[in-house]
Amino acid sequence: MTGSTAGVSFRPGELEVHPDGSGNLLGSRCRTCGANFYPRRQVCSGCLGDDFEPVRFGREGTLYTFSIVRQSTPAFEVPYALGYVDFPEGVRIMGQISGCDFDDISIGMALTLSLEPWGTDDDGTALTGYRFRPREAAHD
Amino acid sequence: MTEVHVVGAGMTHFGKHPDRDAADLGAEALQGAIADAGIGGRDVEAAYCGHVFQGMVTGQRVLAQVGLAGLPLANVENACSSGATAIREAALAIRAGEHDVIAAIGTEHLTSRFRGALTPDESDPEAAVGATMPAVYAMRARRYMEEFGMTRKQLALIPVKNKSNAARNPLAHFRQEITIDDVLESRPIADPLNLHDCSPVTDGAAAVILMSDRAAKKFGDGRAVRLAASTLRTGSVDVEPTSMTFEPLTWDTARDAYERAGIGPDEVDFAEVHDCFSIAEVLRVEGLGLFGQGEYPAAVERGEADIGGRLPINPSGGLLGKGHPLGGTGVAQVVELVRQLRGEAGDRQIRSARVGLAHCRGGKAVGIEGAACTVQILIR
Repeated sequence: MTGSTAGVSFRPGELEVHPDGSGNLLGSRCRTCGANFYPRRQVCSGCLGDDFEPVRFGREGTLYTFSIVRQSTPAFEVPYALGYVDFPEGVRIMGQISGCDFDDISIGMALTLSLEPWGTDDDGTALTGYRFRPREAAHD
Repeated sequence: MTEVHVVGAGMTHFGKHPDRDAADLGAEALQGAIADAGIGGRDVEAAYCGHVFQGMVTGQRVLAQVGLAGLPLANVENACSSGATAIREAALAIRAGEHDVIAAIGTEHLTSRFRGALTPDESDPEAAVGATMPAVYAMRARRYMEEFGMTRKQLALIPVKNKSNAARNPLAHFRQEITIDDVLESRPIADPLNLHDCSPVTDGAAAVILMSDRAAKKFGDGRAVRLAASTLRTGSVDVEPTSMTFEPLTWDTARDAYERAGIGPDEVDFAEVHDCFSIAEVLRVEGLGLFGQGEYPAAVERGEADIGGRLPINPSGGLLGKGHPLGGTGVAQVVELVRQLRGEAGDRQIRSARVGLAHCRGGKAVGIEGAACTVQILIR
């Protein structure tokens, strides 16, 4: 982690960026039934309760499925790997996968949340987004 | 309460129409449906118009083109289910006894609004990390291959089948048969899906005239087909991650329709399903209960879903072959059902079809299993 200059979160309600460049994805947890949601909800779809607390999800998950995207919008440089990652808290979160060759990506692999530069906003402020990296590679 | 009948059906050629617009296409389809119903424009009492990206009051622009003024009209947006939702709204108004003759229109001039991969609305957190619709379906395809052992060649048979059907449909976007190798060698879009696995960017429109029992008796002239069910649902909000290889939303919407029509899935003779991508056809027919889970790829290989097969799927060519003008799609599916059930489908006619089903499913919002799903059952 080189992170001395952490940028501003690209989606502040969904990704928290810490000063050291690390961070967490954010959601909400239903205080009534314990269900976790990403992104945040106003009412729980399980019990219809509306008493929520914010939750910081852990950084480790498992790849449910993925694709190599070769045609996208102008906002994204292709190709990139995109996947759905299942977290032990019971949420599935989509993100790009970086830090390995496309050929080394497989369903079931362990991934770690990684905060990465994500361009700039309209005012030129550097933004921080997230990707997922293979667990070993995330600690180098 | 009155039943609802489809008495008129019309559609434009589906394809790229750079010199036209959504109102112009919608008007052609509506005029065709009015003529097919054997009525005059003044007999239409109300209208619903489904579209996605055509801007404000598109339906009113359609009516202006065909000289109809003063009617109640509502524009309907429900992503790829917009046109089908317009039909459902029209059916509800007839059942409620409010009107006897209603036009449901679906239109889209997509080539002027979109190029390449369709994406969810930019406010969506998944769009923000690079989600495209092809990528989402590609991920479902990969998971399905992992769970059920479907091969890439089996998946390729779906566009091969649907484009073969489209070659027999003069109004289809694609009129050329393709081979498995054509699919496998076409441009990669989102692995494992290639260009031939994706529905095209299409302009087109379709319209139907729905009538009450009373109006169908007056105008139907033996050409009416009963709309036995028209159901709509929004996907459930995920409490925890669920399988992406089965579609509870499709099943729930279909179950509502089977109950309403008083039939089971085994009584469906053929279906037009929302094959926006090759894998989507697999997920749809299994979600509808027409084939067992994990069984459709092998059934396609055996020819069961061909026009001459046990249960023809997408005889019109589907979205992959006929094309996918978002708002127009759901109405065009019903136009195909009507033509098949009346025996007017020409080279792609299914033998002795009595019950047809149309399924649409569209849109994407994070955390919801699916945005809008419709099922229509027509019985002759």
